[in-house]
Amino acid sequence: MLIRFLESIPKARFSLRFLVLAFASVMMVGCATAPDPKDSEAVAEYQQINDPAEPTMRAIFAFNQALDNAILKPVANVYRNAAPEKVRAGVHNFLNNLRTPVIFFNDVLQGEFQSAITTLVRFLINTTAGIFGLNDTAGDLGIDYKNEDFGQTLAVWNMPEGPYLMLPVFGPSNPRDVIGRVVDFFIDPLNMWARNSDEEWTIYTRTVVDAVDFRALHYDAIEDLEKSSLDFYATIRSLYRQRRTDEINNGKVDPSTAVPSIGQFQDEETEPRASNEISQTN
Amino acid sequence: MTIWRPNLSLLPVLIILSCLSFTHTPALSASFEEEATEFVQNLAEMAIRDLTDKSTPRTQRIERFRTYFNEHFAVSGIGKWILGRHWRKASEAERSEYLILFEDLMVVSYVDRFAAYVGEPLHIHKALIQDENNITVFSEIHQKEGSTAVRVDWRVARKDGLFKVVDVVVEGTSMSNTLRSDFGSIIRQRGGKIAGLLEALREKTASLRKDDG
Repeated sequence: MLIRFLESIPKARFSLRFLVLAFASVMMVGCATAPDPKDSEAVAEYQQINDPAEPTMRAIFAFNQALDNAILKPVANVYRNAAPEKVRAGVHNFLNNLRTPVIFFNDVLQGEFQSAITTLVRFLINTTAGIFGLNDTAGDLGIDYKNEDFGQTLAVWNMPEGPYLMLPVFGPSNPRDVIGRVVDFFIDPLNMWARNSDEEWTIYTRTVVDAVDFRALHYDAIEDLEKSSLDFYATIRSLYRQRRTDEINNGKVDPSTAVPSIGQFQDEETEPRASNEISQTN
Repeated sequence: MTIWRPNLSLLPVLIILSCLSFTHTPALSASFEEEATEFVQNLAEMAIRDLTDKSTPRTQRIERFRTYFNEHFAVSGIGKWILGRHWRKASEAERSEYLILFEDLMVVSYVDRFAAYVGEPLHIHKALIQDENNITVFSEIHQKEGSTAVRVDWRVARKDGLFKVVDVVVEGTSMSNTLRSDFGSIIRQRGGKIAGLLEALREKTASLRKDDG
């Protein structure tokens, strides 16, 4: 099995190379205009946005939105209206349970052994008592689902995320998460089995069901965002990065994130009170 | 032979110092956490009471939410922070129009969303002090029975004993940070001018207002 797995890599590498080439040529078409180098604040902002191929990425985003409107969104809408909530929850739990091996590997690779054990225990409970993962029995017992992937592992290993990317069909990403996706695909035992036994249909089916599940789950949130944001592309870019940072930190507050809190509220009036004055009155 | 005589002139200073060291730091920070927690708890209860009633006409709910938003959120502080460096370059007229439009956008786009989020039981599990006037209250909201809880962090600031929300962070995504990217991108696309953002805000608030949601 391992030999067959290794054999499949050159094939994948070829298609990857092709993808990279195709991608690079698309990138040449549109690059974001760099700001005036004398305006240091604008330069800092440009670097922080880190989206050098923005015009191209926006074009891909428009394509993805058209695709979403034509196929995924209507399908997700039918699914969330036609399928009872119990069924949808079952599908969601089943998909989460299928991801367990990948989560487990990444727990280990990140040196999170406690989490690795939790992941394993969840799998054992949900596959047996939870009937092939259809019920999140472990979650009901307080052992919550926590996602890990190789993109997060690379971040834990201090690899920088690189520039923002909008992938056709797959959506927001960055080079680190692209590598993560590819590695997760290859280390997934289910995919290995499918490729080795000519049951590739399972891979496609799972990918499609995964997409519908995600879209249906976040249907209202996506609608709301699209409706209320001025620039949906920039909003998605910001949300993707914040969400990934949060996942990488496992939900712990990142002290480096800029927050409006510190001092903002105090600045609202023209005569801010000295801090010692405030503490004395209390 | 010398008789030890305490220096009484130092006594008041000693008393003050001992008071400070005993009551000041620990007691103050403990009550700060409690007060902030209570503030967020009340915020959620008020939202359930005043904002979740779908039978109230939307225009009325919008006005209720506007009062609520202004009372409990540092609206202009958030608005200024979102604009960042562009705030300094803006004229007085642009600044005041921006703050009005910002409030409008928040009110019309969050009136439905906010109620949907906070309309469910809120469980506060801890509060973390940043400095003497800034604190984060961590909560979880169970939207539906059995579904995974949504993590909501409330960044709260205090002034003169009054609390205001300065940011809401849902599953690690900050409302203020997201808006900052959104608005900043519009300004960049429209030649770095606030006027371009004001135009986009005018259009957006007008279209959202028409929406029956």
